[in-house]
Amino acid sequence: MTAPDATQDGGLYAARQKIYPREISGRFQRLRVIAVWVLLGIYYVLPWIRWGERQAVLFDLPARKFHVFALTLWPQDFYFLTWLLVIAALLLFFFTALAGRLFCGYACPQTVWTEAFLWMERLFEGSRSQQMKLARAPWSMEKLLRKGGKQFAWIAFALWTGFTFVGYFTPIAELASKIAGFSTGPWETFWVLFYGGATYVNAGFMREQVCKYMCPYARFQSAMFDHDTLIITYDDRRGEPRGARKKGTDHKAKGLGDCVDCTMCVQVCPTGIDIRQGLQYECIACAACIDACDEVMDKVGYPRGLIRYDTQSGLEGQRKRVLRPRTLVYATLLAVLVAGFAVTLSGRNVVGIDVIRDRNALFRERPDETIENVYNVKILNKDGHAHEFRVTGSGIPGLVVDYAGPTVWVGPGAVQSVPVRVRIPEDALEGGADIELAIEATDAPELTATGQARFIAPTD
Amino acid sequence: MPLLDDEYTGTVRWPRLRQDVAIVTWPSFLVASVATMICFAFIDPVLVGNDDYPPPAFATRMSGYAIGFFFFWLISALSSLLTLYLARTAHPEPPETDKPDDWTRSAP
Repeated sequence: MTAPDATQDGGLYAARQKIYPREISGRFQRLRVIAVWVLLGIYYVLPWIRWGERQAVLFDLPARKFHVFALTLWPQDFYFLTWLLVIAALLLFFFTALAGRLFCGYACPQTVWTEAFLWMERLFEGSRSQQMKLARAPWSMEKLLRKGGKQFAWIAFALWTGFTFVGYFTPIAELASKIAGFSTGPWETFWVLFYGGATYVNAGFMREQVCKYMCPYARFQSAMFDHDTLIITYDDRRGEPRGARKKGTDHKAKGLGDCVDCTMCVQVCPTGIDIRQGLQYECIACAACIDACDEVMDKVGYPRGLIRYDTQSGLEGQRKRVLRPRTLVYATLLAVLVAGFAVTLSGRNVVGIDVIRDRNALFRERPDETIENVYNVKILNKDGHAHEFRVTGSGIPGLVVDYAGPTVWVGPGAVQSVPVRVRIPEDALEGGADIELAIEATDAPELTATGQARFIAPTD
Repeated sequence: MPLLDDEYTGTVRWPRLRQDVAIVTWPSFLVASVATMICFAFIDPVLVGNDDYPPPAFATRMSGYAIGFFFFWLISALSSLLTLYLARTAHPEPPETDKPDDWTRSAP
């Protein structure tokens, strides 16, 4: 190879040192900035949005209820969460097969918060070279102010992040006033600091090392790649042999490729790799090197795209195939799952019943020659408004249900416990039998639920 | 021209210990988060308080959840630690060339 030694030897590169990624502008960087604003915007704003009387998105752990806009989910609806996770995993597979680590480069919280922290670092410490100069410089008032300012901004932002995180689980407006009055509960304080601390360490210090050493997805994502997956690649057929040249020289006559070996692609890389050595698992597909290289190509007057999104087949001069069995199968599966999710969610039963036997007495023999069992019936109303419920029973001939009032009122998103006495004629049963207790909303007959219980009678 | 100054020595290649701490704590954190979600979707921590001798920490749901989470984290971290230990102390694989493709046929 005629390439200069410095570029071949990774040791001279940033790989073993603290990485100061060079700031970059370009179309992919713009996309990333938009992604950061949109995703962080959603994260920080969402808990403040109201929905009627309550917070629109609130995972109310103390009350064991998840509110998501009009929906209220209960622990019984847990399988919806599992379903959502399956959809999320499939989405990840789909996008990975389509265009590699799109998630890593644009949407992963690790990347997004790291971007925000890098931005603050630049605000206080300046550009890449200024940062490196500052790190070398002896301690001075200016260094103290710059470093201190950065730390202050980082810590404040991290604490705000932790506060917002807890705001998803406990009403954020109350939490804010509690914090203002230094009266947060021990667990609230703990989780604000825990999540804030994790943000500070992850985005401020560990950064892409998390992707390198800790992320399982980074290790197995290549298994979802094929020859038609869009990846960020260096076109070495066009670029090599690389080398510096004077402006205006005919590099082809000198036997040089299009790569001017400016090393910009390495300097902008947040993980400190050299994309020209081929696809590496450290690459988080942020596309910073594409922007950097395009800028250089523009300057020297060569066509863009020496580093670009391309497929293995495309690099080998073959056709790019976005639609192929793998992506089609993923897309179909996704469509089915999402449709099924929507249908099931909209048609889910919003009332529930829970029947618990009274612990104190097995049965009671009453003077009117009936046997009585007492149950504690819990009526769940997951609906958005209140309903009146009737309780009925069946399973034993002559069974009578007795409870307070002709109907039971249950508020929206509430549970109401009702003591229910069930009586049967003395001669109807010996030992035990299964009975069914049912509820039905008086204003909406389709809202019904049934629960099983055991009825116990004396054996003589 | 070196791209970065050699005298700056904040290493980015993590030392072994830091790698170990990371790969023990992080996967166990992920697993503990999932375990906590599944567990408390089915079990209400305050119901544990109905036992004859309830652990006082389960008196409120928030502390019940938190204790559950850290319990799961601890347990899964222990498992990660053992796995890491076994993987690190295993005899290295013999080089490819010494290993016949199918040992049953390589018998004399």
